Amino acid sequence: MDKMLRNKVSIIIFMLPAFILFTLVLFIPIVQSVYYSFCDYKGMTDPVFIGFDNYTALFSDKTFGIAFKNSMFFLVFSCVSQLIVGLFYAVLLTNIKAGRNLFKNIIYLPCVLSSAALGLLWMFIFSPKLGINQLLEGMGIEEPPLWLMDTKGFITLPMWIIAFVALWQYVGQSMMLYMAQISGINKSLYEASYIDGCTKFQTFRHITLPLIRPMVATALSLNAIGSLKFFDLIFNMTEGGPNHKTEVLATHLYQQGFKYFKYGYASAIGVVLLVLCLIVTLFINKVVKTEQYEM
Amino acid sequence: MKKRRILSTLLTAAMIATTFAGCSSNSGGTTTNAGNSGSPADNGGASGGVQEITWMFWDDLDATEDLISLGYKDTIERFNKDYEGKYHVKPITTNLEEYYNKLNALVAANETPDVFIVSPGPQLTDYVAPGVAAPLDDYLNKDGWKASFTSDAVFTQQTYDGKIYAVPLNTAAACCFYNTEMFDKAGAKVPTNWDEMIAACDKLQAAGYTPITISAGTAWCLSMVAGYLCEAEGVSLPKLADGSASWEDGKLEKAANKLVQLSKYFQRTAAGDTNDVATANFYNEEAAILIQGSWVIGQINGANAAFESKCGVFQFPGVERVIAKSDSLCMSSTSKCPDGAAALIKYFTDDTAQKYTAEKGGKIPVTKVQYDANTAPKQLGYVMDVFGGAKGTFGFYNESMPTTETGAHFDDTMVAVFLGDLTPADAAKDMEEYYKANCRK
Repeated sequence: MDKMLRNKVSIIIFMLPAFILFTLVLFIPIVQSVYYSFCDYKGMTDPVFIGFDNYTALFSDKTFGIAFKNSMFFLVFSCVSQLIVGLFYAVLLTNIKAGRNLFKNIIYLPCVLSSAALGLLWMFIFSPKLGINQLLEGMGIEEPPLWLMDTKGFITLPMWIIAFVALWQYVGQSMMLYMAQISGINKSLYEASYIDGCTKFQTFRHITLPLIRPMVATALSLNAIGSLKFFDLIFNMTEGGPNHKTEVLATHLYQQGFKYFKYGYASAIGVVLLVLCLIVTLFINKVVKTEQYEM
Repeated sequence: MKKRRILSTLLTAAMIATTFAGCSSNSGGTTTNAGNSGSPADNGGASGGVQEITWMFWDDLDATEDLISLGYKDTIERFNKDYEGKYHVKPITTNLEEYYNKLNALVAANETPDVFIVSPGPQLTDYVAPGVAAPLDDYLNKDGWKASFTSDAVFTQQTYDGKIYAVPLNTAAACCFYNTEMFDKAGAKVPTNWDEMIAACDKLQAAGYTPITISAGTAWCLSMVAGYLCEAEGVSLPKLADGSASWEDGKLEKAANKLVQLSKYFQRTAAGDTNDVATANFYNEEAAILIQGSWVIGQINGANAAFESKCGVFQFPGVERVIAKSDSLCMSSTSKCPDGAAALIKYFTDDTAQKYTAEKGGKIPVTKVQYDANTAPKQLGYVMDVFGGAKGTFGFYNESMPTTETGAHFDDTMVAVFLGDLTPADAAKDMEEYYKANCRK
């Protein structure tokens, strides 16, 4: 290992492609975005520095308010639901032998499918004239719910629908992470606990849960970042409608940037998104205390 | 050791090469996808003597049933055949909802298509102001091209500082299309004023029909109706823009109240239905009235030819002017092939294309072409009657406001009124506040 680390030229050569790629596609665009967020920039003319105007405009932008609220809802819903359901699946599947791989693949399958295609699929399923509503009408229900068109409530019905679709799509990823961590726990710990008279629930609470905490922090961080920058399902299922009711920060950014040419303003939304991702990740790492145990 | 070093160097070189290969532009392929289009620099360059012209449009020419779009496809094929060996047109197509997003992305990436369709008004201004669109006067003044148009007035919305930046291809008027059979069965009369409109809707509803199909999912459709209602109340957009009138003078509130009243007759799914879905409701005979631009004639007859005989047209009740709009083509100021691009635009306004526009597409030609009114769709005759009886025209409200975003704000506000999120009074207040903050100096 020491010999390898001494070969600085090789290290540099091997790191260079990743470094160049990271700089070109991530670091420079982030710096550019931060700069544009302080500019009146419409893409077709040179950016004009306007200070914090784009950021102050965010406060009076009603759609930004809706998008922020929906993103926060999505963040909380995704983190909580994927933690509970993902962990439930992981514990269940590590404790069964028959059909484990089959169920694991079935649950994980939506993760590897295109979100755009899945968005369209679910859009058709919840369409007023197709899918579920056709079934409901066949069962005699005259006016079935307008799943993706309802606009009532603080969090509208379409947002709940999209959140559950996202849970269905991504829970497999959380499940896999938890399963990997659970399978790494030494079986002797469980055997010892059973000898001491622990129930299954007590074993889960006092052995499994503390030992998978590092993975909980990782999975929560991934869920949080993923849900904050969530775009594809919403764009394909509702395009942020009806009347911006299902807009999230990423779709609002897209609308402002590519519909109205407001690249400066869109960059400000992007910076807010970036800062939110950092804050949430730091918060999760702070709240979910992890200790390293010998497993 | 030496071998290992050589191997590691080769592997690193391969990794770097692969990395940069991923970043390089793809100059090959002839995809019609907007996101993958080649740049004008690539396209404009002579390739075997043939110059490629990119043309961007808001419908898929291979999948569409819209007769106007199919006419555009014919025009391009005709152009490619006539200019074989010199120019070749590569269409870049996308759906209407995504059109401006993708066009703007291409403009921002310095890959502006040589020729692109655009709506007159602030949307055209978005491309004229920063110099994306090129003036076309030199081409129009050549060979009597400009003289072939019905009048210079057709260029009014395309003219900035005395220069013409887009060429109109056809004119459409926003009218009420109705199912004559449903009207007869319900005993409803063609309305000429607001009260008669409500009475007709009541009769249609009582007969078990959905009186009106409309899209609030595609906000401009609902906003078009709101525009007519504002016109009926005497709203003046120029006065609102310069601050000599206020949105809170009661006119918008009255118009919005009428919109709420009318919305009781909309199909249940209007909030989320797209324009295409709302239109399909009409030609599939699921609703009696469709309030839409006359470009829809091509869409209706293309999708359900048998419906033509049942389709009547009347002017939006209670207004003397009609909303008129034209599809217009712009030429990119960075086009590497401006002569070819201008020649292509000219093809869309030649006699063959303009005759097709009227006789098949059902839209009003912009040139002095003589077309056979007997072979044209019946609806075109009705639209021409509406046009003839109107005391003038005005633009779509959302396209007649100071900026594209202001128009979109008006659309959203009207949808919010329809959804019950804003009261008509709050909508007026909201519009006034928006104008004060963004439109008036």
